[in-house]
Amino acid sequence: MEGTINLGGNIAILGYGLSAIGPGIGIGLIFAAYINGVARQPEARGMLQSIAILGFALAEALAIFGLVLAFVFRSA
Amino acid sequence: MHNIATAAVAVVSEDKVGERPPIVPHLGELIFGAVVFLALLWVVAKYVVPKLEQAYAERTAAIEGGMAQAEEAQKEAEAAKAQYEAQLADARAEAAQIREDARAQGAQIVAESREQAGTEAARIADSAQKSIEAERQQAAVTLRNDVGRMSTDLAGRIVGESLEDETRQRGIVERFLAELEAGQVTPEKVGGASSGDATVAGGSPSAGGATPAGAES
Amino acid sequence: MSYTVLAAVSGLSAASDSGDGFEAPTPEEFYQPLFGSGDFSFTRPMALFAISAVLIAAFLIVTTRKAAVVPGKGQWITEQGYNFVRNGIAQDIIGSKEFLRYVPLLFTLFCTILVNNLFGVIPPFQYPTMGRVGFPIALALLVYVIYQVLAFKRKGVIGYLKSLIPDGLPTAIVPLILFLEIITYFVTRPVTLALRLFGNMFAGHLLLLLFILGGEYMMFHADGIHMKVFGAGSYILAAAMTVFEILIEALQAYIFTMLAATYIADSLSDHH
Repeated sequence: MEGTINLGGNIAILGYGLSAIGPGIGIGLIFAAYINGVARQPEARGMLQSIAILGFALAEALAIFGLVLAFVFRSA
Repeated sequence: MHNIATAAVAVVSEDKVGERPPIVPHLGELIFGAVVFLALLWVVAKYVVPKLEQAYAERTAAIEGGMAQAEEAQKEAEAAKAQYEAQLADARAEAAQIREDARAQGAQIVAESREQAGTEAARIADSAQKSIEAERQQAAVTLRNDVGRMSTDLAGRIVGESLEDETRQRGIVERFLAELEAGQVTPEKVGGASSGDATVAGGSPSAGGATPAGAES
Repeated sequence: MSYTVLAAVSGLSAASDSGDGFEAPTPEEFYQPLFGSGDFSFTRPMALFAISAVLIAAFLIVTTRKAAVVPGKGQWITEQGYNFVRNGIAQDIIGSKEFLRYVPLLFTLFCTILVNNLFGVIPPFQYPTMGRVGFPIALALLVYVIYQVLAFKRKGVIGYLKSLIPDGLPTAIVPLILFLEIITYFVTRPVTLALRLFGNMFAGHLLLLLFILGGEYMMFHADGIHMKVFGAGSYILAAAMTVFEILIEALQAYIFTMLAATYIADSLSDHH
């Protein structure tokens, strides 16, 4: 055992990985749209920024649920 | 630190709070957090925000009060600026005028001096030519007189008597010279010269007053 | 477990026992009671939260006590933050008519969350208070109570429910939409508000912990030269993650404040 690294895991963490895919794509799309919008109309940056952050937060909520549920079911 | 750590270990082994899933809140933390936050909120709402808002209001008032003053100042500044600009334009025009004058004056001086030099040169050339001409003429006259005298002398010596008649003598010499200059006389031997002379003299006896040399000059 | 708690308490330095191989950091390490036991033990995050509250209150009071028209250095810093929350969040989202009443709440939320998040990477503290779910829940609960009470006071029960349904919806799907909206307003919003903050701080800190402890284990307790190299790489990654973590911490403070303002604005407005 000396010098070895034992990385144990739990199947629930894989669930988190799956749940992070969707939000990842969604967040990417949101910021892609935001960058597009700012590139087209730099003066709208302030307005677009709060909308983009809001969308980012909403999309991220799903990933957060995944993380939390991973811990919930891990101990179950 | 060690004591705390052992205490912590003891606590963990005692109850199961530490082994709960992390999303189940620790009740003490929840209540403590809410209470502390509310206290902080009270402090901020009571002491901090009013001060800041007051500062904002004062700043707004100061800005609005300063607005009239600023407008005044701006007007003054604009007047000063206009004046300054007018002066600047004047100065600029003046400078341009001076430059233009200087340029014109310079051109004039150049033209004048050029003209002066031209006239001077012309004058010098003219006077030189004149003196040359005068000298030439003088030389021609002297030469003619000498030639006439010498030839009459010679002729007189040859003939043996002096050729007294001035007018005739002169006429003959003049005619000869004129013919010589016109190229009608070709050089001949001394023997034939007299007959040639005779033909010349007989051919045109009345060339008297005409001075071809004078006419040619 | 005992070693990891020890490690966490003594500043996340010691790795697990070298005889046992590497033990990945676990969520249990976030529970660090100082004294007492059970649900009412006094924990390290509680102490940190209290410290942060005292620091914030002291800083804000000191810098604004003699609030002048021409700000000094401290007042300028405070005003930058205050301006950001007041004009950038409250006024923009709630609207210039009523926003002033909610500025203290939003400003306090922003300061508290920002400072506590930054505690996660500031050396003497190095513990994100919001990584303990109790604190985000406390804050979210407060916001939840405020925006629900506001909505009920403004619109009444019937009006509130009506305002949840968009205009011009076919009658057949109204119950479904109403159900979804009620779930959104009464469950999803507060839960995500709290858990987003918690999850970001918790996961971010766990990640840092993993990189640092793993790096240390590979560097000093594992055999072989290649392990040293991996350990150094792990440390470098940890440093990079720390910088990224600072960005996330500030962003989360902004998001929490902005969402709180959005929910309050939703309760104040008549339309959906």
